[in-house]
Amino acid sequence: MSTFQQTLFVARKDLLLGWRARTRTLAVALFGMVTLVLFSFAVAADGEVGVSAAAGFLIVALLLSSILSLEESFRLETEDRALEGLLLLPVDPVAIFYGKAIANFVLLVLLGPVLLPLTAIFFSLELDGANLLGMALLWLLAAAGIAAPGTLYASMTSRVTGRDVVLPLLLFPLTLPILMAGVRSFDLILRGDAMSQLKGWTLLLAAFDLVYWVLCGALFSRTLEE
Amino acid sequence: MAEGPAGVIIGGWPYVITAYSITAVALALNIARLAARERKADKNKESDSNG
Amino acid sequence: MRNVATGIGLLGILLLLVGSYVGLFVAPPERHMGDVQRIMYVHVPTAWIGLLCSTFAMIFAVAYLWTGRNRWDDRLVGALEISVILGGLLLVQGMLWGRVTWGIWWTWDVRLTTSLIMFLLFAGVLALRSFVEEPLRRATWSSVATIIAYVDVPLVYFCVRWFRSLHQVQSSPETVHSSMIIPLRINAFAMLFIAIWLIAWRARIESKSRGAERPPERIEIQGAQNG
Repeated sequence: MSTFQQTLFVARKDLLLGWRARTRTLAVALFGMVTLVLFSFAVAADGEVGVSAAAGFLIVALLLSSILSLEESFRLETEDRALEGLLLLPVDPVAIFYGKAIANFVLLVLLGPVLLPLTAIFFSLELDGANLLGMALLWLLAAAGIAAPGTLYASMTSRVTGRDVVLPLLLFPLTLPILMAGVRSFDLILRGDAMSQLKGWTLLLAAFDLVYWVLCGALFSRTLEE
Repeated sequence: MAEGPAGVIIGGWPYVITAYSITAVALALNIARLAARERKADKNKESDSNG
Repeated sequence: MRNVATGIGLLGILLLLVGSYVGLFVAPPERHMGDVQRIMYVHVPTAWIGLLCSTFAMIFAVAYLWTGRNRWDDRLVGALEISVILGGLLLVQGMLWGRVTWGIWWTWDVRLTTSLIMFLLFAGVLALRSFVEEPLRRATWSSVATIIAYVDVPLVYFCVRWFRSLHQVQSSPETVHSSMIIPLRINAFAMLFIAIWLIAWRARIESKSRGAERPPERIEIQGAQNG
């Protein structure tokens, strides 16, 4: 099998496991909803917050949920020492990383159809077809940006005690550019892009994604060495 | 903060002294911490070679 | 080697005392900022050397992954710790300065935000380190995490600059008089020397405690080879 085929194989395996344990996967989405409710009551129960605040809540809900999703993706690997088993097979570590990262990416993307409409409802955002297309693209970029470093860090922290503390501690400061770019872009999409800044923010997000998908893929195999 | 006639900020010395003191204290604490760690490492090494 | 490092450290402390004395009592008060500007004589060197130390950490991390030699991991811990300490000091000094000149402890301007995120990123690497006990794993993981964190710094910087540009550009008048450059330079070298000394010292301690951790295993391996 080529590395590419192996990557798809690992991604398929992870998504299949996610499907089998769909109540757990759904729980992550439910958690995202709960955070949105918390935010709305923390600021204003009548939904009277600005567009950028709503966008911020949405991205923060994604970030918080991603921690659970990422930990879940490595829970099985470490519980049954399955990662070590996978390493004994003639599977390229690069394929393991990209496979798992793709699976995590897909799971994070799937939070979009849950969180996005809820944010629009809770905070009275006006959405139309053109808006939605732009937001979907941004959602993909944001999810990709979290998935790559998230997969790398989760693979490490899943093998130490105290993982619950370390993963967000490492991932949240790192993904701050995603939060900033995400909030600004959503704001620009919804309120109009008078100074054509949207392209710049999208490029910044894309650059973040590119840097970390390459860098984390290159470094992942080193973290497996024992 | 109070401003002088030419728009110059007057005072602020307590803040200046605090900034320098905190820097000095932090560096001193770190030096003390390293000294303590080194003593501990030396002790461990000795007990290892004895045992 | 050890004496050289200690010598550099003592020189650094001496220079820091001289530079701070000049900065506090000899240099004239700044035209607009008055005496508060004197914080800059310690603040700016802290920023420069803190950034330099995190760059050292990045270099040591790459060197460790490249060579696999423990000595790079020893130096990495030293560089990480100093950059976190200087990063924390930078924030405190900056807040004190901001309280007087801007009237607020904190503002989300580019440099402040980037410094804070950098501090959090590197403190996170140290936290990860403290959770991993197995030495080889700890060394590799901290190197990987250091590289990932370091690459984020310019991204955060540009992001914040762009993010903020919509609201206000925080201007800080930088009219540096020649009498102000002298204490600034002295303190910069002082901080540099102190940082080098502390990194070398911390590395030596790390290598000592590493030696204490491992010996039984080594004897076992030797025995196996002989048998």
